Amino acid sequence: MKKKNVAFIIPAYNEESSISKVIVDINRHAKGKYSYEVVVVDDGSKDNTAVVASKAGVKVIKHILNSGSGSATATGLSYAEQQNFDIAVTMDADGQHHAHDAIRGINLIQKNQADLLIGSRLIDSQGMSRVKILGNKGLSYITYILFGINVTDSQSGLRIFSKNALDNLKWKTSGYEFCSEMLWRAKQQHLDIQEYPIKAIYTEYSISKGQNNWNAYNILKLLLKQRVVEFFSE
Amino acid sequence: MSRYLILVLLNLPLIITAIVGAFVSYKLNNTSKRRLIIKTIFWVVILLCLVFAQNIYTYLYNEGLTQTEPLSLFDVLQITGIIYIFYVVNRLFVKVDVLEKRVQDLHQELSIILSEKDKS
Repeated sequence: MKKKNVAFIIPAYNEESSISKVIVDINRHAKGKYSYEVVVVDDGSKDNTAVVASKAGVKVIKHILNSGSGSATATGLSYAEQQNFDIAVTMDADGQHHAHDAIRGINLIQKNQADLLIGSRLIDSQGMSRVKILGNKGLSYITYILFGINVTDSQSGLRIFSKNALDNLKWKTSGYEFCSEMLWRAKQQHLDIQEYPIKAIYTEYSISKGQNNWNAYNILKLLLKQRVVEFFSE
Repeated sequence: MSRYLILVLLNLPLIITAIVGAFVSYKLNNTSKRRLIIKTIFWVVILLCLVFAQNIYTYLYNEGLTQTEPLSLFDVLQITGIIYIFYVVNRLFVKVDVLEKRVQDLHQELSIILSEKDKS
Protein backbone atom coordinates (compact mmCIF):
# COMPACT_ATOMS: atom_id res chain seq x y z
CA MET A 1 0.00 0.00 0.00
CA LYS A 2 1.24 3.49 -0.87
CA LYS A 3 2.41 5.48 2.12
CA LYS A 4 0.25 8.48 2.91
CA ASN A 5 1.72 11.94 2.45
CA VAL A 6 1.48 13.72 5.77
CA ALA A 7 2.21 17.37 6.55
CA PHE A 8 3.01 18.28 10.15
CA ILE A 9 2.11 21.95 10.52
CA ILE A 10 3.57 23.84 13.47
CA PRO A 11 2.43 27.45 13.83
CA ALA A 12 5.07 29.20 15.93
CA TYR A 13 5.57 32.58 17.52
CA ASN A 14 8.72 33.21 19.56
CA GLU A 15 9.38 29.53 20.15
CA GLU A 16 13.14 29.27 19.54
CA SER A 17 13.69 27.39 22.79
CA SER A 18 11.17 24.63 22.13
CA ILE A 19 10.75 24.28 18.36
CA SER A 20 13.74 22.01 17.73
CA LYS A 21 12.57 19.54 20.40
CA VAL A 22 9.15 19.35 18.73
CA ILE A 23 10.75 18.71 15.32
CA VAL A 24 13.08 16.03 16.70
CA ASP A 25 10.11 14.33 18.40
CA ILE A 26 8.13 14.28 15.14
CA ASN A 27 11.09 12.95 13.14
CA ARG A 28 11.66 10.20 15.70
CA HIS A 29 8.09 8.98 15.56
CA ALA A 30 7.17 9.52 11.90
CA LYS A 31 10.33 8.33 10.15
CA GLY A 32 9.65 5.23 8.09
CA LYS A 33 5.92 5.26 8.78
CA TYR A 34 4.90 7.99 6.37
CA SER A 35 6.16 10.13 3.59
CA TYR A 36 6.04 13.39 5.53
CA GLU A 37 7.12 17.00 5.69
CA VAL A 38 7.36 19.18 8.76
CA VAL A 39 6.26 22.75 8.08
CA VAL A 40 6.96 25.47 10.61
CA VAL A 41 4.92 28.63 10.06
CA ASP A 42 6.82 31.42 11.78
CA ASP A 43 4.21 34.03 12.60
CA GLY A 44 6.54 37.04 12.54
CA SER A 45 8.58 35.96 15.57
CA LYS A 46 10.96 38.45 17.13
CA ASP A 47 13.40 35.73 18.14
CA ASN A 48 15.26 33.11 16.06
CA THR A 49 12.41 30.61 15.68
CA ALA A 50 12.74 30.54 11.87
CA VAL A 51 16.54 30.14 11.98
CA VAL A 52 16.37 27.31 14.53
CA ALA A 53 13.67 25.53 12.49
CA SER A 54 15.64 25.97 9.27
CA LYS A 55 18.71 24.46 10.90
CA ALA A 56 16.59 21.47 11.90
CA GLY A 57 16.06 20.92 8.16
CA VAL A 58 12.31 21.54 7.94
CA LYS A 59 10.26 23.73 5.64
CA VAL A 60 9.83 27.22 7.09
CA ILE A 61 7.16 29.65 5.96
CA LYS A 62 7.69 33.10 7.40
CA HIS A 63 4.79 35.46 7.93
CA ILE A 64 5.77 39.00 7.09
CA LEU A 65 3.54 40.31 9.87
CA ASN A 66 2.47 38.73 13.12
CA SER A 67 -1.14 37.87 12.41
CA GLY A 68 -2.20 35.30 14.96
CA SER A 69 -2.34 31.58 15.54
CA GLY A 70 -5.41 31.09 13.32
CA SER A 71 -3.77 32.81 10.39
CA ALA A 72 -0.51 30.85 10.81
CA THR A 73 -2.44 27.58 10.92
CA ALA A 74 -4.40 28.58 7.81
CA THR A 75 -1.13 29.36 5.98
CA GLY A 76 0.27 25.94 6.88
CA LEU A 77 -2.88 24.13 5.80
CA SER A 78 -3.06 26.17 2.60
CA TYR A 79 0.51 25.04 1.82
CA ALA A 80 -0.44 21.41 2.56
CA GLU A 81 -3.43 21.73 0.23
CA GLN A 82 -1.31 23.24 -2.56
CA GLN A 83 1.30 20.48 -2.17
CA ASN A 84 -1.43 17.85 -2.36
CA PHE A 85 -0.84 16.19 1.01
CA ASP A 86 -3.27 13.41 1.98
CA ILE A 87 -3.34 14.27 5.67
CA ALA A 88 -2.26 17.30 7.69
CA VAL A 89 -1.57 17.49 11.40
CA THR A 90 -1.38 20.72 13.38
CA MET A 91 0.62 20.74 16.60
CA ASP A 92 1.59 23.41 19.13
CA ALA A 93 5.16 24.66 19.00
CA ASP A 94 5.54 24.89 22.78
CA GLY A 95 6.01 21.13 23.07
CA GLN A 96 2.75 20.35 24.85
CA HIS A 97 1.84 17.60 22.37
CA HIS A 98 3.45 14.17 22.08
CA ALA A 99 4.34 13.22 18.50
CA HIS A 100 3.13 9.67 19.20
CA ASP A 101 -0.33 11.11 19.92
CA ALA A 102 -0.20 12.74 16.49
CA ILE A 103 0.79 9.41 14.88
CA ARG A 104 -2.07 7.71 16.74
CA GLY A 105 -4.41 10.38 15.34
CA ILE A 106 -3.18 9.83 11.78
CA ASN A 107 -3.91 6.10 12.07
CA LEU A 108 -7.28 6.79 13.67
CA ILE A 109 -8.48 9.28 11.06
CA GLN A 110 -7.81 6.73 8.35
CA LYS A 111 -9.43 3.92 10.30
CA ASN A 112 -12.53 5.94 11.28
CA GLN A 113 -12.83 7.75 7.93
CA ALA A 114 -13.22 11.04 9.80
CA ASP A 115 -12.55 14.43 8.23
CA LEU A 116 -11.41 16.33 11.27
CA LEU A 117 -10.00 14.60 14.31
CA ILE A 118 -9.39 16.60 17.49
CA GLY A 119 -6.90 15.49 20.10
CA SER A 120 -8.85 16.15 23.29
CA ARG A 121 -6.89 16.93 26.45
CA LEU A 122 -10.07 16.82 28.50
CA ILE A 123 -11.31 13.28 27.95
CA ASP A 124 -8.60 12.37 30.44
CA SER A 125 -7.55 15.66 31.99
CA GLN A 126 -5.07 14.23 34.50
CA GLY A 127 -2.13 16.58 34.96
CA MET A 128 -4.02 19.64 33.78
CA SER A 129 -4.55 22.39 36.31
CA ARG A 130 -8.10 23.15 37.49
CA VAL A 131 -7.89 26.65 36.08
CA LYS A 132 -6.97 25.28 32.63
CA ILE A 133 -9.75 22.68 32.82
CA LEU A 134 -12.25 25.40 33.71
CA GLY A 135 -11.09 27.69 30.89
CA ASN A 136 -11.10 25.00 28.24
CA LYS A 137 -14.43 23.54 29.34
CA GLY A 138 -15.90 27.04 29.36
CA LEU A 139 -14.77 27.68 25.79
CA SER A 140 -16.07 24.29 24.67
CA TYR A 141 -19.40 25.21 26.23
CA ILE A 142 -19.40 28.58 24.44
CA THR A 143 -18.67 26.75 21.18
CA TYR A 144 -21.65 24.53 21.86
CA ILE A 145 -23.96 27.46 22.66
CA LEU A 146 -22.91 29.50 19.63
CA PHE A 147 -22.51 26.81 17.01
CA GLY A 148 -24.20 23.69 18.38
CA ILE A 149 -21.02 21.63 18.23
CA ASN A 150 -20.49 19.31 21.15
CA VAL A 151 -16.81 18.56 21.68
CA THR A 152 -14.90 18.17 24.93
CA ASP A 153 -11.88 20.27 23.90
CA SER A 154 -12.68 22.92 21.32
CA GLN A 155 -9.34 24.71 21.83
CA SER A 156 -6.95 21.83 21.28
CA GLY A 157 -4.08 22.59 18.91
CA LEU A 158 -3.54 18.96 17.96
CA ARG A 159 -5.84 18.37 15.02
CA ILE A 160 -5.72 15.93 12.14
CA PHE A 161 -7.22 16.87 8.77
CA SER A 162 -8.26 14.51 6.00
CA LYS A 163 -7.78 15.44 2.33
CA ASN A 164 -11.45 16.40 2.19
CA ALA A 165 -11.04 18.76 5.14
CA LEU A 166 -7.85 20.22 3.67
CA ASP A 167 -9.64 21.05 0.44
CA ASN A 168 -12.84 22.43 1.94
CA LEU A 169 -12.16 23.86 5.37
CA LYS A 170 -11.59 27.63 5.47
CA TRP A 171 -12.16 30.13 8.26
CA LYS A 172 -12.02 33.87 8.70
CA THR A 173 -10.70 34.68 12.16
CA SER A 174 -6.98 34.93 12.76
CA GLY A 175 -6.52 34.67 16.53
CA TYR A 176 -7.17 31.85 19.00
CA GLU A 177 -10.90 32.06 18.26
CA PHE A 178 -10.20 30.18 15.02
CA CYS A 179 -10.29 26.90 17.01
CA SER A 180 -14.03 27.29 17.57
CA GLU A 181 -14.72 28.88 14.20
CA MET A 182 -12.97 26.00 12.44
CA LEU A 183 -15.41 23.57 14.06
CA TRP A 184 -18.32 25.76 12.96
CA ARG A 185 -17.06 25.82 9.36
CA ALA A 186 -16.52 22.06 9.47
CA LYS A 187 -20.11 21.63 10.57
CA GLN A 188 -21.32 23.92 7.77
CA GLN A 189 -19.34 21.82 5.28
CA HIS A 190 -20.90 18.63 6.75
CA LEU A 191 -17.47 17.29 7.66
CA ASP A 192 -17.25 14.39 10.09
CA ILE A 193 -15.72 15.75 13.34
CA GLN A 194 -14.39 13.24 15.85
CA GLU A 195 -12.26 13.32 19.00
CA TYR A 196 -9.72 11.08 20.64
CA PRO A 197 -7.96 11.37 23.99
CA ILE A 198 -4.43 12.76 24.15
CA LYS A 199 -2.05 13.61 26.96
CA ALA A 200 -0.75 17.15 27.14
CA ILE A 201 2.73 17.81 28.50
CA TYR A 202 2.67 20.75 30.88
CA THR A 203 6.06 22.21 31.58
CA GLU A 204 6.70 25.58 33.12
CA TYR A 205 7.43 26.82 29.61
CA SER A 206 4.24 25.50 27.97
CA ILE A 207 2.14 26.87 30.86
CA SER A 208 3.70 30.31 30.42
CA LYS A 209 3.06 30.18 26.67
CA GLY A 210 -0.49 28.86 26.89
CA GLN A 211 -3.67 30.89 26.71
CA ASN A 212 -4.72 32.92 29.69
CA ASN A 213 -8.25 32.13 30.89
CA TRP A 214 -9.15 35.81 30.56
CA ASN A 215 -8.58 35.45 26.84
CA ALA A 216 -11.87 33.53 26.79
CA TYR A 217 -13.61 36.91 26.96
CA ASN A 218 -11.84 38.08 23.79
CA ILE A 219 -12.57 34.80 22.06
CA LEU A 220 -16.25 35.06 22.96
CA LYS A 221 -16.38 38.66 21.73
CA LEU A 222 -14.76 37.83 18.40
CA LEU A 223 -16.92 34.76 17.86
CA LEU A 224 -20.05 36.80 18.53
CA LYS A 225 -18.82 39.47 16.11
CA GLN A 226 -18.26 36.77 13.49
CA ARG A 227 -21.78 35.50 14.08
CA VAL A 228 -23.28 38.99 13.63
CA VAL A 229 -21.20 39.81 10.54
CA GLU A 230 -22.17 36.47 9.02
CA PHE A 231 -25.82 37.28 9.61
CA PHE A 232 -25.62 40.47 7.56
CA SER A 233 -23.02 39.41 5.04
CA GLU A 234 -23.90 38.82 1.44
CA MET B 1 -49.85 64.47 5.63
CA SER B 2 -49.88 62.16 8.62
CA ARG B 3 -46.57 61.88 10.45
CA TYR B 4 -46.96 58.09 10.53
CA LEU B 5 -47.24 58.10 6.73
CA ILE B 6 -44.09 60.25 6.47
CA LEU B 7 -42.29 57.74 8.70
CA VAL B 8 -43.23 54.87 6.37
CA LEU B 9 -42.46 56.83 3.18
CA LEU B 10 -39.03 57.88 4.43
CA ASN B 11 -38.02 54.38 5.45
CA LEU B 12 -39.66 52.34 2.72
CA PRO B 13 -36.94 52.93 0.07
CA LEU B 14 -34.26 51.84 2.54
CA ILE B 15 -36.10 48.67 3.47
CA ILE B 16 -36.84 47.85 -0.16
CA THR B 17 -33.14 48.40 -1.00
CA ALA B 18 -32.12 46.02 1.79
CA ILE B 19 -34.59 43.31 0.72
CA VAL B 20 -33.76 43.64 -2.99
CA GLY B 21 -30.03 43.57 -2.12
CA ALA B 22 -30.50 40.32 -0.18
CA PHE B 23 -32.52 38.83 -3.04
CA VAL B 24 -29.91 39.80 -5.67
CA SER B 25 -27.16 38.27 -3.50
CA TYR B 26 -29.13 35.07 -3.34
CA LYS B 27 -29.71 35.04 -7.10
CA LEU B 28 -25.98 35.59 -7.67
CA ASN B 29 -25.23 32.66 -5.35
CA ASN B 30 -23.46 34.89 -2.83
CA THR B 31 -25.78 33.94 -0.01
CA SER B 32 -27.82 30.94 1.07
CA LYS B 33 -31.60 30.63 0.92
CA ARG B 34 -31.72 30.41 4.71
CA ARG B 35 -29.90 33.73 5.09
CA LEU B 36 -32.15 35.35 2.48
CA ILE B 37 -35.22 34.27 4.46
CA ILE B 38 -33.76 35.51 7.77
CA LYS B 39 -32.82 38.89 6.29
CA THR B 40 -36.18 39.30 4.56
CA ILE B 41 -38.05 38.48 7.77
CA PHE B 42 -35.84 40.94 9.67
CA TRP B 43 -36.58 43.85 7.33
CA VAL B 44 -40.27 42.96 6.93
CA VAL B 45 -40.65 43.01 10.72
CA ILE B 46 -39.15 46.53 10.78
CA LEU B 47 -41.49 47.59 7.97
CA LEU B 48 -44.53 46.16 9.79
CA CYS B 49 -43.53 47.98 12.97
CA LEU B 50 -43.38 51.23 11.00
CA VAL B 51 -46.67 50.62 9.15
CA PHE B 52 -48.50 49.77 12.37
CA ALA B 53 -46.61 52.27 14.53
CA GLN B 54 -49.79 54.16 15.38
CA ASN B 55 -51.68 51.01 16.37
CA ILE B 56 -48.72 49.79 18.42
CA TYR B 57 -48.50 53.19 20.16
CA THR B 58 -52.26 53.29 20.87
CA TYR B 59 -52.19 49.75 22.27
CA LEU B 60 -49.18 50.45 24.50
CA TYR B 61 -50.70 53.75 25.70
CA ASN B 62 -54.08 52.20 26.51
CA GLU B 63 -52.43 49.35 28.40
CA GLY B 64 -50.41 51.84 30.42
CA LEU B 65 -47.12 50.52 29.03
CA THR B 66 -45.98 53.92 27.74
CA GLN B 67 -46.58 57.49 28.83
CA THR B 68 -44.83 59.20 25.89
CA GLU B 69 -46.34 61.83 23.63
CA PRO B 70 -47.61 60.76 20.20
CA LEU B 71 -45.16 60.74 17.29
CA SER B 72 -43.59 64.13 16.51
CA LEU B 73 -41.79 65.12 13.32
CA PHE B 74 -38.54 65.02 15.25
CA ASP B 75 -39.31 61.41 16.26
CA VAL B 76 -39.87 60.56 12.59
CA LEU B 77 -36.45 61.94 11.67
CA GLN B 78 -34.82 60.23 14.62
CA ILE B 79 -36.27 56.82 13.80
CA THR B 80 -35.35 57.21 10.12
CA GLY B 81 -31.82 58.22 11.10
CA ILE B 82 -31.43 55.22 13.40
CA ILE B 83 -32.62 52.78 10.72
CA TYR B 84 -30.34 54.39 8.12
CA ILE B 85 -27.32 54.29 10.42
CA PHE B 86 -28.12 50.68 11.28
CA TYR B 87 -28.20 49.80 7.58
CA VAL B 88 -24.97 51.68 6.74
CA VAL B 89 -23.03 50.40 9.76
CA ASN B 90 -23.86 46.83 8.90
CA ARG B 91 -22.84 47.30 5.27
CA LEU B 92 -19.52 48.78 6.42
CA PHE B 93 -19.01 46.05 8.97
CA VAL B 94 -19.45 43.42 6.26
CA LYS B 95 -17.17 45.25 3.83
CA VAL B 96 -14.41 45.59 6.42
CA ASP B 97 -14.77 41.88 7.17
CA VAL B 98 -14.41 40.97 3.49
CA LEU B 99 -11.37 43.25 3.13
CA GLU B 100 -9.79 41.79 6.26
CA LYS B 101 -10.21 38.29 4.84
CA ARG B 102 -8.69 39.33 1.51
CA VAL B 103 -5.66 40.90 3.17
CA GLN B 104 -5.25 37.78 5.28
CA ASP B 105 -5.40 35.54 2.19
CA LEU B 106 -2.91 37.77 0.40
CA HIS B 107 -0.54 37.64 3.35
CA GLN B 108 -0.72 33.86 3.52
CA GLU B 109 -0.21 33.41 -0.22
CA LEU B 110 2.69 35.85 -0.22
CA SER B 111 4.36 34.05 2.69
CA ILE B 112 4.15 30.72 0.89
CA ILE B 113 5.49 32.15 -2.38
CA LEU B 114 8.35 33.92 -0.62
CA SER B 115 9.29 30.75 1.26
CA GLU B 116 9.49 28.90 -2.09
CA LYS B 117 11.73 31.65 -3.46
CA ASP B 118 13.98 31.46 -0.39
CA LYS B 119 14.37 27.74 -0.98
CA SER B 120 15.37 28.14 -4.61
